[in-house]
Amino acid sequence: MRGTKNTGGRIAVVFDRISLLGMLLILAAILTAAMLMQYGFGEIPCPLCLLQRFAMFGCCFGLIVQLRSATSEQGTGISLIFAILLLVISARQTLLDLFPRPGHEYIGSAIFGIHMPVWSVLIAVALLLGLATRLAFFGGRSYSVMGDGLLTRRLVRGLIIYVVLLCAINFISVIIQCGAGECHTFGYRLLR
Amino acid sequence: MMAAIYAILLIAFVLDLLGRGRLAVCCLFLSFIICVWLFLWEIYSPEYGFRMPWLQVELGPIFAPLRSV
Repeated sequence: MRGTKNTGGRIAVVFDRISLLGMLLILAAILTAAMLMQYGFGEIPCPLCLLQRFAMFGCCFGLIVQLRSATSEQGTGISLIFAILLLVISARQTLLDLFPRPGHEYIGSAIFGIHMPVWSVLIAVALLLGLATRLAFFGGRSYSVMGDGLLTRRLVRGLIIYVVLLCAINFISVIIQCGAGECHTFGYRLLR
Repeated sequence: MMAAIYAILLIAFVLDLLGRGRLAVCCLFLSFIICVWLFLWEIYSPEYGFRMPWLQVELGPIFAPLRSV
């Protein structure tokens, strides 16, 4: 009986780790796609778009903290705060550009017929749902992170370093686009 | 200001990598506060304030024919 309980607990831990890793992986992929759109297709991000990217990085930070900690839910809390920030910013931008007015058309091209701010709303809602579901099923469970396999630990470490590198690239990109002042979508301030 | 937000975020990530968890979270929330301030500054219009007058929720003329039916 105890063996069955232990096996069930172990499976829950594995699913918990997979859900956190999955969310981090998807966010890293979205942030990479945003950079590719910016430099590959010349889509210069607007200030609210950059703030949405920041909110996604905040979610990544929370997920990284949660992946390292097995006894507290601090990381989930951080991710939830930034997911709400992402939802507020993207919902406001969607409402801002809802009706095309002079100077207020949707910024950027549509992907699968949906514009960027609307994608951000969907991503924020998916994150909130994912984090809430994780808490509902696996919340309050404490276990040893050291129990992770070598492959999982390497994967987590590699993903963390990749997200930090993405953040560094975004920082340099913001410097090139905005300098120390206001951001515009006309062009890159430092390349003029 | 955007550069400052990303700089503090990067510092938070690096501090977290170096094992200074509490300091990293403090940096993250500092960048969060600046982000909220910048967001409010970006959406504020001297003409409309924070309102969005282009969003009309009153019954428009489109519903007039329905009412007559």
